[in-house]
Amino acid sequence: MRKAAALLFALAALPSIAQERVILIRNATVLTITNGKIENGSVLIRGTKIAAVGKDIAAPANAQVIDATGKFVMPGIIDTHSHTAVEGSVNEISLPNTGMVRIGDVLTADDISAYRQLAGGTTTALVLHGSANSIGGQSQIAKWKWGHPVSEWLVQGAPRTIKFALGENPKSANFRPPEGTPRQYPATRMGVEEVIRKSFIDARDYMAEWDEYEAKRKRNEPAIPPRRDLLMETMADILRGNIDVHSHCYRSDEIMMLLNLSDEMGFKVRELQHVLEGFKVAKEIAAHGVGGGTFIDWWGYKAEAYDATPYNVALMVKNGVLTSVNSDSDELARHLNHDAAKSMKYGGLTEDEALRLCTINPAKQLRLDNRIGSIEVGKDADLAIWTAHPLSIYARVDTTMIEGEIVFDRQKDLQQREAMKREKDERLKKEADEAKKDKNGKKEKKDA
Amino acid sequence: MRPAAEVSMNLRRLVAVCLFLAAPAVFADAPGVYAITGGTVHPVSGPAIENGVVIIRDGLIEAVGKNDIALPRDATPIDVKGAHVYPGLIDAQTSLGFTAPAPRRGFGGGGGGGARRETEQTPEPAPDTLAIRTVKISDDDADARRATGVTTIITASAAGIFNGQSVVLNLGNGPIESRVIKSPASMQLSFNPRPAWTYPDSLMGVISYMRQTMMDAQQHQTARDIYERNPSGLRRPAENPSLEALRPVLARTLPVVFVADSEEMIRRAQVIAREFNLNYMIAGARQGYAMANELKNIPVLVSVRWPVAPSDENDRKDQPLRVIRFRQLAPTTPFALQKAGAQFALVSGAGKTGDFLPGIRKAIANGLSADDALRATTLAPARIFGFDRQLGTLERGKIANVVVSDKPIFDEKAKVTHVFVDGREIRLPRDDAKKAETAASPIDGTWNVTVRATQGSVAISVTLHAEDGQLTGTYTGDRGSGDIRGGTFDGTTFEFTISATAQNAAETTDWVFHGTLSGTTVQGNVNTTLGTFEFSGSKSR
Repeated sequence: MRKAAALLFALAALPSIAQERVILIRNATVLTITNGKIENGSVLIRGTKIAAVGKDIAAPANAQVIDATGKFVMPGIIDTHSHTAVEGSVNEISLPNTGMVRIGDVLTADDISAYRQLAGGTTTALVLHGSANSIGGQSQIAKWKWGHPVSEWLVQGAPRTIKFALGENPKSANFRPPEGTPRQYPATRMGVEEVIRKSFIDARDYMAEWDEYEAKRKRNEPAIPPRRDLLMETMADILRGNIDVHSHCYRSDEIMMLLNLSDEMGFKVRELQHVLEGFKVAKEIAAHGVGGGTFIDWWGYKAEAYDATPYNVALMVKNGVLTSVNSDSDELARHLNHDAAKSMKYGGLTEDEALRLCTINPAKQLRLDNRIGSIEVGKDADLAIWTAHPLSIYARVDTTMIEGEIVFDRQKDLQQREAMKREKDERLKKEADEAKKDKNGKKEKKDA
Repeated sequence: MRPAAEVSMNLRRLVAVCLFLAAPAVFADAPGVYAITGGTVHPVSGPAIENGVVIIRDGLIEAVGKNDIALPRDATPIDVKGAHVYPGLIDAQTSLGFTAPAPRRGFGGGGGGGARRETEQTPEPAPDTLAIRTVKISDDDADARRATGVTTIITASAAGIFNGQSVVLNLGNGPIESRVIKSPASMQLSFNPRPAWTYPDSLMGVISYMRQTMMDAQQHQTARDIYERNPSGLRRPAENPSLEALRPVLARTLPVVFVADSEEMIRRAQVIAREFNLNYMIAGARQGYAMANELKNIPVLVSVRWPVAPSDENDRKDQPLRVIRFRQLAPTTPFALQKAGAQFALVSGAGKTGDFLPGIRKAIANGLSADDALRATTLAPARIFGFDRQLGTLERGKIANVVVSDKPIFDEKAKVTHVFVDGREIRLPRDDAKKAETAASPIDGTWNVTVRATQGSVAISVTLHAEDGQLTGTYTGDRGSGDIRGGTFDGTTFEFTISATAQNAAETTDWVFHGTLSGTTVQGNVNTTLGTFEFSGSKSR
């Protein structure tokens, strides 16, 4: 799987399936992420997967050939902090722990922001619950399969994930309840920690209750099954390792609190989100095998975001933290390549290190690096073709594909804009005519 | 759910009602014998009969046929020459007879089993709430409905998540219990988040709440069954009438009506229905045109309260194509369902009484035939809810709900001239009385509202309409546009919720407006996730 030449031959072994999609992108600079840069390279796509990557791949007879001379091919960007395509509130704000709710239940295929992100080369996102409570709802890993029903956006077989949140937001500093509503617990960082610890203690009790019931049944003793509690099931699944924790955090003290608490209670934190003070405890984060997803140069928007630096990314990377840049924003999600590029200016990361920040590193944080995040044979054909090196401010996306299907095409987009403008004009004209007719009708009645 | 004491009180009330029904009822306006002649009879069960006859006796239809039927000597003749005779229309999903209760605040437990602190007088409906016990239909409301040809409604509260168990009611006179055709007719569920800080206050929370409640009902049923089989050695499971009320739902004997308008919401309802193997139908469904083929095996109650374009041309231009497309395609839903072979009814849903016939006409203008529209407001809903042996057509032996209109009933200029419910002729209000009935509420109209948020002023234009204590309408402005939700108006104070787009456009959050109306100004507070802000506004024009 390492050498491009070897990959080339793997292709010949693949059975040709009737009507399977075959696309050859050639003459491109291929940024594989995991195997360096291939000048004048090609990527062959069969069906939903990457079938070959290398220099001189001949076009199969049935292949659609995309000539990418002068262009760059890069894996689809992965954003580990998104709130795109959520219908209704991203926060179930009511309780300190709302682990029973699921973002996956309320995704909508109707959010144009998903399409706009495709135009910036972003193909996969971790869509998170908000940060209003210590333990928020379950998050959802999705691909922006624009034009498909939303059930197809959910990445099948992806790990289940949940949002934790520390600091100002869950202690209600930024979410004041309306007048007349009793103040929500917790109101301090201590309380946040207590909510998380208590939730796991409750989960252990809950699991013991079920174990007891199962044991009774095995002994053929009379027994009534306990209540299935969706919140406790979630907590138990975190303890069982079935749900990954992605935690919103800012300050180094609370980061350490969570890492210590995870050791104490026996759960695994997969990624620290925002983590603006990660640089202060980078070694400890790395020692715990925890990732960090952060902004490159956003800070100062609240008290706990004051002690920050754009060098955070580079410092975390250099201390061995699996680091990504993510968006928390529909807008930033459209150009995460820029944030990756800034890490070369602030802290001197290499081009390869910078590219990994928005590709293979977030893929690893999502535990999907066997499927996405790099251009390798056998991985999902989630790719973007850029007009220039994607770390350049002048680069634009020409084409984006997910699992081999072109989901954004700049030329087609321009044509569609015309067609949509025509449709809108026609529809508005129809309504204007109807409004006029109604007016006249009413006037006639009046006259009569 | 509800405290047990209250439920047992309701049971006592039910017993009293039953005793009352057992007593011989004497009504001043006892059903008589009528012969309706000269009109075109539309029996729905068969082709139209020119110059047909309908004979009504003692509340039932005695005969339907051509003018060669011998008229009974004791019949009061009613000559409706040139007019059209129909089975009374059925509006199979409405909240007529319910005022939306003020939303509760309190702490939510995890679904059905959780304890909750009640802080308000009016409890939210629960699975064991029976519409028949709380429905209150004023004479004016009944008059207004009957004037649109509707003689039967299926009604339930629109409040809360579990709206309770709906009732099929004839719009006759007399005590409510005597008008019931079927109770319960369905268990109705709506995706209504509760006010912020009360679980569940988000759509995803509502879905979890529904799921947990259904799971609790399963557990409750299992626990009760095991205990009742042999209580020895077992701790007695708690009684829970609310969960017990879901037993027929889990057994598929009581259908579930999910109120779901958009394609995504319909799919969410379907996911829950499949998860718990429910016998279900969809109400609302105005985006059904996008998935008609997928709906052909599920009864659909299409709300004909079609989305309305903003009156100002510039406001229309500002809207995205998606929104314009939805409101123009929504009225094609009935025809799309007809073509797909789906079983559907046309209903007023959350609409105003006066919207029903114009809404049906719009469906007809968008392809549905008048015959199919008639079927969708008579036989189809009767079949969907299983009372088609009693109502839905003009056939011998059926309940005599009959309406006469001077022109085909879905014609724009048609006027309902006679209404019979349970064989009694109902006098229709005079036109001027009807006008007073539909007179605008003082809150009706467009309001320019300014919210003083900490980040600066936010301008929003809200178009409101109040009816039966419910407030409906649309909003547009600095924080996006759409339909208002959860609106109530008691004559002075009002409440409604909008989905406000955050400044960075990354998310929408609920803004809950509480305000008071005085003359042409409104003021009050907006509760948001960012805090509570004041707002004020005035009526435009």
